[in-house]
Amino acid sequence: MGRTWESMDAFEAFLDDGGIVEVDDDMPDAYRRAVFAFIEMHANSELMGGLTERDWIPRTPGLRHKMAVLAKTQDEIGHGHLLYMVAADMGCKTRREMIEDLFAGKSKFHNVFHYRAKTWGDQVAISFLVDAAALTSQQAVFKNCSYGPYRRILKRIIAEEGFHMRMGEERMMLIAEGTELQRTMFQQSLDDWWWPALQLFGPDSKPGDQLLRWHIKSERNEVLRARWVQKFAPLLISYGFTVPDPGLIHHPETDTWTAGPIDWEPLRRTLAMGGPDSARRIGDAAANWADTYWVRDALDAASDQALNQAAGTPA
Amino acid sequence: MTSRATPEAVRTAVATVDDPEYPGISIIDLGLLEDIDVQPDGDVVVRLVPTFSGCPALAMIADDIRHAVASVDGVTGPQAVNVRWLSSPAWTVDRVTENARRAMAREFTVAVRIGQDPVPCPRCGADTTEDSMFGPSRCRAVHVCRSCTEVVEVMRA
Repeated sequence: MGRTWESMDAFEAFLDDGGIVEVDDDMPDAYRRAVFAFIEMHANSELMGGLTERDWIPRTPGLRHKMAVLAKTQDEIGHGHLLYMVAADMGCKTRREMIEDLFAGKSKFHNVFHYRAKTWGDQVAISFLVDAAALTSQQAVFKNCSYGPYRRILKRIIAEEGFHMRMGEERMMLIAEGTELQRTMFQQSLDDWWWPALQLFGPDSKPGDQLLRWHIKSERNEVLRARWVQKFAPLLISYGFTVPDPGLIHHPETDTWTAGPIDWEPLRRTLAMGGPDSARRIGDAAANWADTYWVRDALDAASDQALNQAAGTPA
Repeated sequence: MTSRATPEAVRTAVATVDDPEYPGISIIDLGLLEDIDVQPDGDVVVRLVPTFSGCPALAMIADDIRHAVASVDGVTGPQAVNVRWLSSPAWTVDRVTENARRAMAREFTVAVRIGQDPVPCPRCGADTTEDSMFGPSRCRAVHVCRSCTEVVEVMRA
């Protein structure tokens, strides 16, 4: 079976040497809980993101982008599915418990899914800025993640998110080269989504951050956030848009960009389920879960029947 | 006057195009290429079959092919490359090369369903059980390994 470590020091030395933990290893409880909570939040975010994406299927302009949104919805829900399986395998909560906790407002998901996407411009800003922020942090986790099952799933998720990014870039360029009305709409979306996207990285990492110490994350939040600002601030400006940060500074000697002071209060509110759209989002997701009980019942009944057929005991 | 491109040179260029969701795995190895036709006027026709007709990557793959083939000697530019998606023959997993199957198992823990159950785990070789007919894509199911409990995606027609 799995490996055991005689102390936390021995376990941490194993991690520092680049060791990869597998599900049947006798990992320390604190590590198990930390990894589980991290994957659970990722799974919740994929599911909540997928449900938002789904709302846009009928409203997406053009068949090509409609197909892409349809497929992206399936991607996100599928990613959630894979992640819930990996999380459940750790033995902390079952898949159903995770779903029920999410819909009861008891567990976390990314701050960006506590806001409402009101226009197609918002959707473009999300697929361009927010997906890039999520991808930036996932890439940093993947690079050095000590938990094997999560790392292997992340590799596939990142490949697919990279594909979403390309779609997002294409949409952004379409809108940037569009009419004055489209550009005005997109500027409004940037004003609304720039800060939530930037806050997805979280406040600066604390010195004793367990996720860093145990090689779940490989880079500090502020480093990832700075990398994202460095990429997107000049890009948006080059397309003639305004970055809604009066404190944004360009350093000409190094051609680098740094964000101004960040107000973390909006992030704190989303984490307490008090974001601008938290209640509606969770309520809609819970209602959808309740409305589809018959699908789960039918699948359970079908699998009981298959089991009994296999066992020769007619149901 | 430059001469026309050879189908072999076009094929080599098409082989550099990867599946957008599987970096490093060529669309030729995935069995998407049906045929290549270099016409008398030098224009190139590349015919492909999609893994499924609603695949969102079709436009992107076509675009990547136009750009890859445009740099082949004798091709005047992306506008001289016509990419056509065919509704027949249907793509099946039999079209995926042995090479791509190994790479998908090794790099992405993705199995390709060949024939009937059970599908072996790409990680340990034990049998897997289907968890859901659908995963992140219409062309993949989700399985779980009965031995090492790995979550495995299974590519299928």
